[in-house]
Amino acid sequence: MADSYSRDSEPTTRTLLRRVLDTADPRTPRRPRSARTDVQRALLQTPSSRRLRSQTKMTARRCSHRARSIDRLTHVQASGHLEEQTPRTLLKNILLTEPHGNADASSLTSSLNLTFATPLQPQSVKRPGLARRPPTRRAVDVGTFLQDLRDTSLALAPPDTVLEDTQPFSQPLVGRSPSVHHSLPCPSHSGAKDVERAASRRTWSSGLGLQNNGAGKPAQLLAGKVEEVGALAMGFPNISSNISGKDGIEPLQNGVGEEAEERMEESLREVEKAAEAQGSARAEEPEGHIEVTEAEGSWGAVEAKEPEGSSGDEDTSGRTASPELASSTPEFLRARRLQFLETAPPPSTAVLPSEPPEPLSARLPPKPRIPGSRPRQDPYKTGLNHYAKLFSFYAKMPMEKKAVEMVEKCLDKYFQHLCDDLEVFAAHAGRKTVRPEDLELLMRRQGLVTDQVSLHVLVERHLPLEYRQQLIPCAFSGNTVFPAQ
Amino acid sequence: MMEEEKGAEEQQRFSYQQRLKAAVHYTVGHLCEEVASDKEMQFSKQTIAAISEVTFQQCENFARDLEMFARHAKRSTINTEDVKLLARRSNSLLKYITEKNEDIAKFNLERKAKKKKKLEDENKNSVEPAEAGVVESEN
Repeated sequence: MADSYSRDSEPTTRTLLRRVLDTADPRTPRRPRSARTDVQRALLQTPSSRRLRSQTKMTARRCSHRARSIDRLTHVQASGHLEEQTPRTLLKNILLTEPHGNADASSLTSSLNLTFATPLQPQSVKRPGLARRPPTRRAVDVGTFLQDLRDTSLALAPPDTVLEDTQPFSQPLVGRSPSVHHSLPCPSHSGAKDVERAASRRTWSSGLGLQNNGAGKPAQLLAGKVEEVGALAMGFPNISSNISGKDGIEPLQNGVGEEAEERMEESLREVEKAAEAQGSARAEEPEGHIEVTEAEGSWGAVEAKEPEGSSGDEDTSGRTASPELASSTPEFLRARRLQFLETAPPPSTAVLPSEPPEPLSARLPPKPRIPGSRPRQDPYKTGLNHYAKLFSFYAKMPMEKKAVEMVEKCLDKYFQHLCDDLEVFAAHAGRKTVRPEDLELLMRRQGLVTDQVSLHVLVERHLPLEYRQQLIPCAFSGNTVFPAQ
Repeated sequence: MMEEEKGAEEQQRFSYQQRLKAAVHYTVGHLCEEVASDKEMQFSKQTIAAISEVTFQQCENFARDLEMFARHAKRSTINTEDVKLLARRSNSLLKYITEKNEDIAKFNLERKAKKKKKLEDENKNSVEPAEAGVVESEN
């Protein structure tokens, strides 16, 4: 057995956890499998000294893969008992993957290190430039975590927990949409609903909804998680009995494992992903959950804040609505960019300096509630509303509601005209896509671009650096020009 | 010397412009007279001057736009397409222009068809009278 724990002189998180493990009363129903536990533990301990955040999950998943082969045996044998010592194994993984300083550089670990060297890139870089923010990290609250562990172990004991070992599986989704910031991680009160598979989706959505509602208290979150874990446990027997193949188990494991680890990390996005994984996995759709998470990912890329109800609907309507949104996105972005550039001179010079700071980080309107219906109105109106508010801000005096509505109407007409013109220009040149040349023509007609002032000058003046880099061709090393002309 | 030339050229252009403006003013005056007799309302001189000024400016704008449109379509000649693009704002004007365009196109087609037909007819007839006939028709 690999019980070679080295206690550091200073009480680090690692040592604290270790102590907890050693001293904690192992009150899990699957205790008799001590032998298997040990083997598992040994396996899990081999990968070590890894970066905690981004690679933790991947490594954990790898560990879990290996461990799972063993687990499967246990699962098959034990009627419903899949994994033993869930919180224990969780702790194990956490301890192992935490950067400890001692380089257990076995070949296995180094190979695993290589595999996971590339941090999971945010796949949905649909908002370039300013919108690409580094994921915010939060410190681990050990006290609450330990408390929660104890609660979990207590909660788990009574029901016939088939709960998968909460090995932190990492889904590829974990790295997705790092730009989504939610106030509250994970569904906190959704535990009760989670039991049924049908409700699982709504759970996820309501959980997401609660994200924006909650105050983000970790204790609250953890308590919620406990409930959810319990509910998950109850849900599992249903699922595990139906799912015979490993595919079914894996997403489930992923979901739970991820969720448990999220608690530890208190990383908002990852928790959200866990919730997603749970919800969708519980719905027995491994591919479905990828889709949904993809939709979610695209969503995360697309908007900064999302009203909860819409996210709920998104779950069911995610697939149908996301292409819709994607199509409306470029259109809207384009409209924004145009408006951005064009209204610069007309309204006033005061608007000029202020509009540029309003970057094209598309704060897109919330998703239409009903998928497919009213694709035009909701995003449209909300965008206009946004601009009308800007207008009222720059008016520097209070505006009547009717005046704001009038402004909205005018903006509406203006944008329609604008886009019609662009379309006509593109058709005039025998094209079906609107290109910057069309835009330049439009601005020339508007008098923004003259013989003295070219489009590039305007771009330099008003757009932030990232967009400027993408618009103005510049020579780079290696005799390349970006963007290519 | 160069400056002199430029100055002279500018003056020439300016005088040319003035002549054009005067021509526009004259035409606008005539049109306003017609409208005045039609509606039984009088037009003041300032009105006519203002209208002619606006017309002149618009003509300049149109010319610039047409050139831009032609260049946008990667052509060096201004086309009826450019004109239609220019007139798209006012529906009635666009319709009028489109109809005119179609009429002209049809007329051209008819002329082409006529010419072809005549050639065929002449070929059927005897050679000499046909040649004479062709020569005459072409003349």
